[in-house]
Amino acid sequence: MGHIWLITGPPGCGKTNWILNTLQNHSGPKAYLQLHGHSSNELEQAGNVGIDRAWLKDQIPDLQHAEVNAELVQEPQKDQLTLIEWPQFHPPKTVGIEGADPSLLNTLSGMNLSPQRVLNFGCDAELPDQDTLRFTRLESWSLNLHGQVWDPNSLSSFWFELVNGAYGDVYRAKALMNLPDGRAFLCNWMVSQPSSQFLPLKNVLPPLGRPQRTSELVVQGKALNSPGIESTIHDCLLSDEALELHQAPLREQFNQQQSTPSLV
Amino acid sequence: MERWALISGLHGDLDLYEQIQRDLSTQRGIESLFVLGDLISSERNCDALLSRLRKPKRNDLKPDCIYGWWEEQLLAECGYRGERNAEVLRLERGEDAIQALLTAVGPGHAEWLASLQFGFIELDCALMHGSSADVGDQLTPTRSPLILLDRLTRLNVNRLFTARCGEQFRIELTGGSMASRVQDLSGEHQQEHTVPKRSVIGIGKGASYTIYTPANDHLEFRTIGERNTATHARGQGFA
Amino acid sequence: MKQAVISCLHANLAAVEAVLADIDQQGINTITCLGDLVGYGPQPNEVVNLIRQRNIPTCQGCWDEDIIDGLNACECSYPSQLAERRGHRAHHWTEQQLTEDNKAFLATLPMTLRRNSHLFVHGSPNSQHEYLLPDMSAFAALERVDSAGAEILFCGHTHQPYVRELSEGSIQVKVQGNKEAPVEHELKLPVRRIVNAGSVGEPRHGGTKATYVIHDDNTQEITIHEVEYDVAATCQAIVNAGLPEVFAWRLSHGFEYAERADDASHVCER
Repeated sequence: MGHIWLITGPPGCGKTNWILNTLQNHSGPKAYLQLHGHSSNELEQAGNVGIDRAWLKDQIPDLQHAEVNAELVQEPQKDQLTLIEWPQFHPPKTVGIEGADPSLLNTLSGMNLSPQRVLNFGCDAELPDQDTLRFTRLESWSLNLHGQVWDPNSLSSFWFELVNGAYGDVYRAKALMNLPDGRAFLCNWMVSQPSSQFLPLKNVLPPLGRPQRTSELVVQGKALNSPGIESTIHDCLLSDEALELHQAPLREQFNQQQSTPSLV
Repeated sequence: MERWALISGLHGDLDLYEQIQRDLSTQRGIESLFVLGDLISSERNCDALLSRLRKPKRNDLKPDCIYGWWEEQLLAECGYRGERNAEVLRLERGEDAIQALLTAVGPGHAEWLASLQFGFIELDCALMHGSSADVGDQLTPTRSPLILLDRLTRLNVNRLFTARCGEQFRIELTGGSMASRVQDLSGEHQQEHTVPKRSVIGIGKGASYTIYTPANDHLEFRTIGERNTATHARGQGFA
Repeated sequence: MKQAVISCLHANLAAVEAVLADIDQQGINTITCLGDLVGYGPQPNEVVNLIRQRNIPTCQGCWDEDIIDGLNACECSYPSQLAERRGHRAHHWTEQQLTEDNKAFLATLPMTLRRNSHLFVHGSPNSQHEYLLPDMSAFAALERVDSAGAEILFCGHTHQPYVRELSEGSIQVKVQGNKEAPVEHELKLPVRRIVNAGSVGEPRHGGTKATYVIHDDNTQEITIHEVEYDVAATCQAIVNAGLPEVFAWRLSHGFEYAERADDASHVCER
């Protein structure tokens, strides 16, 4: 009989990081499910664009995603730990499942899910709270960057501008970005933090053209200048020709490494 | 220990080059031959030498060549330098010299000369015809040490080998310092700068050339046919 | 007698007017400009017209040269694709905005200006693109001034003002010919100064104020001056001109419009 925990909290409070640490510390089978929260006129959810899912899968290769296979959560293996993430702006009135949003309870019921434990960032003392902010107004904007590769120095400049307010008041920015040498980074900024995180993905792809993996940018804030953001991003992304210039010398090295037999 | 041979100023003379190759073959440990420009000139037909440099004979020490002042004049006149032409040669020696130079080098060789590099950086040594400031830069023992130090600093190397002036010499910067006081919007900062221990070495030209041992900084100024008596050892060397 | 030196105006009219007013208020009549009248900023014609009206002697900056000769700097000029694209966009916009008359004026600007023992350049005596940074080798810095036959070298290009005095200098050398005995001697180096005037129109020193310098011939003192100006007016002009809005944000926060390449000592091969 597995364990199912529900984790809720506002944007940027640290849900994904806590989920990552908890799953890494669990020795048995692990599963993850991200549910889509509610948006209102004043408070827009980031949308389930797959950044968290892709990041967690990279860091925990044996993690199973419940969106793909619902049986994983409905008929969990023995000792399986399933964490369900539900983004929620406002803290519940009471702790535990009774305090959960009714629409969440409906969704869980429709999936035959009964979490044994509910943890809310902002309510439960065992969760860190330094990044748990109360929002009264939040816009949300995202961009699919699948197949796109960044000029590395341009990414640094763009991210600096983004989190320092060049394109509106940004409270939260999160992205998976590809670099021409096959590396990718989780870029993470929260207004309560002194600096951004740039965490490398473990999986480095060979320099063979455009990478086929999740790449997205999500920005949440106020008075966001999305045309400005898109325009700058366009200036930062590598064309096919520019990408080839970066990758051609790396490909030679890569081919040499592939053909050199390694000593066992 | 690896030794370098540094030559320059062949001026199209295949006989001279063959003499140098024979002279080098009598000496031990020479693994690299650097030809620091002035492979050609307007004096004679250069095609035979250029063919030999491009396709060395079996027993030749294989040459690594850079372009020098004469090559720069030819390439400028042939349109390889944008809108510039061989104005310096024209001024110094007139139109006849330009025509003689164009005749001295066959069309197949100009493209090869255009592919040569400006200089080499090997093991903290810069090998140039003039200097990084200009291919025609004449670095000599009478040039201000401030200029010599600047040329070394531009490349951030400890040794600069130059051929342009045609002389054989070693100029060592052995010491010195300067006080620098900077005032900016954050306040005033003082620093003392010391002269790094660096050298500019003139390698000679034509029949006069230089042998250098990077491992112990040992220099030999040689002339074809002379016995090996001129040595300028620095450092303790290795057994 | 005092003289003022200004540099790197970058088509920022409000900043130029504020600096000239500051200089006028001190009764200084001798002003020299070290170029980059245009580039990135929204008022290239207005700034060029103002310099022409005031008859301020000016040397040609790297941006002024690029407008006349076309963009052909090597890729090292920009550290990122983003900076390069912004730079090119600003170049094309400026080139389209400038009147033919003002372009002709920029083409007449000399590479250097000299007044007695003072030399005025944009980058260095060697090139409009060479940065003379305050931490470059003291000996290389001295070489720049001394080789140009000057006692004080006024430069710009870095957008970071400083006054650097080089003194008590000497170099010891040992010269060995092919057959002669080695000869040792010492060269005593003269006292020289390099003065960077900073930037009027695009500061890079971490603040938003325009900077320039004043040299007093009587006391030989050189001072750096900061001048506040209506940054918001320039930002509005950037937006009105259709230039990238992010330029306005960068200027108002004291950042350069586009980053400079890391290897500041590199000189573009043209």
